[in-house]
Amino acid sequence: MTDSRPCQLHPQSMCPAFGSLRVLTRLEGSHPVMATDTGCLYGLTFVTHFYGARKSILAAHLGTAELMAGEVVENTRAAIEVAAQEPGCQLIPVVSLCVAETAGLPEEMLPTRVGDAEVVLVRVPAYAIHSHPEAKDVALAALLRRLGEPEGGERDAKTVVLLGEVFPADPLAIDGLLRRIGVEATIALPGRSIDDMKRAARAGALAPLHPFYKETMAAFRSWDIPIVGGAPVGMSGTVSWLKAIGSLLRLDLEQVNRVAEEERAQAEAIIKAQPLAGRVIVSGYEGTELAYARLLAEAGAEVPYVSTSIAADPLTLPDEMWLRNNGTKEIVYRKSLEDDVAALDKYPPDLVLGTTPFCAIAKERGIPAVYFTNQLASRPLFLSGGMAATIGFIQQMINRSERYEWIQTFFEEEDFVDQGEVPLG
Amino acid sequence: MANIVRDLADSSSYWAAVWTICPLPDVHAICDAPIGCFNLVATAVPDYTDAIPHIENITPSVITEAEVGEGTAAAVKRTYENLRDEGYLEGKRLIVISTAESEMIGSDLADLVGQLGEGSTFFHSESLSDDEWLGRDRVLQWLWETYGAEPAAALQVEPGLVNIIGPTYGCFNSPSDLLEVKRLIEGAGGRVNLVFPFESRLAEIADLARGQVNVLLYKEFGHRLAPSLGQPWLHAPIGMRSTTHFIRQLGEWLGTSDQAAAFIRQEKASTLQAVWDLWKGPQGDWFPTTSIGLAGSRTYVEGLADYLGEELGMPIAFTAPRPRQPGDLDNIGVRSLLHAGAPSFVFGSINEKIYLSEAGARQTHYIPAAFPGPIVRRATGTPFMGYRGTVYVIQEIINRLYESLYTFLPLDSGYSQGGASTQPGNLPWTDEAKATLDEAVAKLPFLAQISASRELQMRVESEARARGEVEVSADLAAEILASRNGG
Repeated sequence: MTDSRPCQLHPQSMCPAFGSLRVLTRLEGSHPVMATDTGCLYGLTFVTHFYGARKSILAAHLGTAELMAGEVVENTRAAIEVAAQEPGCQLIPVVSLCVAETAGLPEEMLPTRVGDAEVVLVRVPAYAIHSHPEAKDVALAALLRRLGEPEGGERDAKTVVLLGEVFPADPLAIDGLLRRIGVEATIALPGRSIDDMKRAARAGALAPLHPFYKETMAAFRSWDIPIVGGAPVGMSGTVSWLKAIGSLLRLDLEQVNRVAEEERAQAEAIIKAQPLAGRVIVSGYEGTELAYARLLAEAGAEVPYVSTSIAADPLTLPDEMWLRNNGTKEIVYRKSLEDDVAALDKYPPDLVLGTTPFCAIAKERGIPAVYFTNQLASRPLFLSGGMAATIGFIQQMINRSERYEWIQTFFEEEDFVDQGEVPLG
Repeated sequence: MANIVRDLADSSSYWAAVWTICPLPDVHAICDAPIGCFNLVATAVPDYTDAIPHIENITPSVITEAEVGEGTAAAVKRTYENLRDEGYLEGKRLIVISTAESEMIGSDLADLVGQLGEGSTFFHSESLSDDEWLGRDRVLQWLWETYGAEPAAALQVEPGLVNIIGPTYGCFNSPSDLLEVKRLIEGAGGRVNLVFPFESRLAEIADLARGQVNVLLYKEFGHRLAPSLGQPWLHAPIGMRSTTHFIRQLGEWLGTSDQAAAFIRQEKASTLQAVWDLWKGPQGDWFPTTSIGLAGSRTYVEGLADYLGEELGMPIAFTAPRPRQPGDLDNIGVRSLLHAGAPSFVFGSINEKIYLSEAGARQTHYIPAAFPGPIVRRATGTPFMGYRGTVYVIQEIINRLYESLYTFLPLDSGYSQGGASTQPGNLPWTDEAKATLDEAVAKLPFLAQISASRELQMRVESEARARGEVEVSADLAAEILASRNGG
């Protein structure tokens, strides 16, 4: 932590509750019901229909009249009944937000099952959960506690649960590599399948790819499923992760080492072929920023500053230690816009990976910047393949600095008409 | 009867307050909000409604569990002091805005704001009871009463000046509509005075009193403010007749009737000529079979129903205006209509778009015409209002019909299947099978029926051949056609 953080005025996070809706709307057969006021409902439905799923969302109307008349529970129950009529409905998550939580929505007043559908209460008031990744955790843990079937069959000792929403091709690549070291199957959570939730409770190990799944990890611990630390990001991260899985699942260590060394060699070749050069600031909402920063630093970039919306977590510690030993000067949790802008002044970068307000400020200064969530979550990250994709993209962005400067000058200087050629980068 | 909402179409009065107050550049707002209510209203949603990276002149008090227990006054005061110390408030007035959550915990800051620097005010947004339309209506009136009415007493009405009330942030397509309405006002002989709040400063709200006439850009809000300004007012128009009436009425009130009449003549010979040409051409022949569904603001829904339905004679399949009045369709109603059979065109929000996706209504054209939903509408050439709006809307419709026709043209299957099809011609159909096909085709929009009839026929026959049938039976046709939406 730095000695003097700037004044914290504008905390940066998507509405935390969005994280839960993202997870809950993408499940096949899941039809969420929201309990909240209209402003909240409008905003969360808006972003869910942009980033979550093309799924109609039901809610209990919750305004002064309903609150005064004590109809919160009654209206929520009525919405649950309607949701149960959706074709193929197997799950009705009831998403309870700030106003409903303040008014009180007692779980025992809601049904636990309607028709074929499980009804699961998910409490995600934004005033208590401070970032949207953490709300993903709350939602997933609530579902797993209800749906997980630890006694539903034999323990699949060589199945690994990959935990974290990642680029769709990443779990395939990881699965392929894990099979080579003797893992028999993987389950990716959160995903689209309710059945995966049920059988995840019988897996051999849990591998969190993202560092904010506290409650979900607690659910797996309650089923005596061991947890693998770290994530297969970057060169050293991938090698130690593979070895950890190998020893946890008692796989053939010779084979594990062989595969791990092949991965290392591939990663080394990638970095050698296209080493990064330049200074990058990494600032996001998601909790994955530290892993990204580590990958960039391994590839040769200078990453003086990393910030995230989540709180510090034991799972971020290995990346944090590694970064501090490799040139990162500041790592900020629960960051505000002011933290990021101060870093922009302190470490003038060649590229910013940031939130939309922060990227806009960087672009106003003629610095290349991209929205972390949209641009990085849409690319592979893991293993050597993810490394290649990420490094290529980052270098391309760094090389575009002249264009960012050109456009900035065009808009800032009144008499700027045509100062030479438009840069090609 | 419990009150259930499906895919809410209208936001709350808290959103209205932020989106109405923050366009005024000499204001800084504190929203008494948890982080989510700040992020959604100031960044996540205006990124995709107004195409702005974030609203800069707003800061949250950040309600956490501590504030839920003990009230928000201390957090708001701390936020104010930090803003002041960091220089955010220089040359600005502070307005503190309540949210549903701050109202829920009973945080009334009317007294506190007195301690937050001179001239600071508190707007109780009534977010637990009012929607965005009522909210905009109330906050516009409150801004006028709080900041405008008193200095306005010294001002005189100036002949020829016209105010425009609306837009705020979050008003669909407002850059284009605003520009067109300005053009109409000038064409009628007026001069645009204040565009409130979008192009105004807090310090000049009193200037509203100088307007001889007020134009309300929308039917949804501004009706408290307009009468209290004491001058005649009228709504911005959609459609040919409505626009003509608007220009004439303005001319009458401004004493520029001759200029207004000349402008109408000139527009008929220029801008509107496109509508006349399309009417005379082959395009106009499609109008009677092009059915239209309309969901959106009352301004747009009633305006388009008038223009497309009454003036051009297109069948209006349904209207769902917002804010809803008793008897108007809600989203549950719109959804079941669209699931049962969608019209040729649906003008609406992302909600209607989702219902069309659920219904597998690939033959229906969706045209964005309302929020919610991410859309960039910053170009000023896409108005729905005024004469230019009549041309733009009909052009959109016809170009999409052309698109339909293009996709109907056969494409040699050699390119997609690695070799031209060698399938023989038609198989015979039983009468019952033919009736089943006709029934499926009849459910589709008119223009789409041509290609759908061939496409469905080919699909059924190809399956029949795969099963070694020499004739298409009713059962087989029904089976294949039932799986249509999955394709």
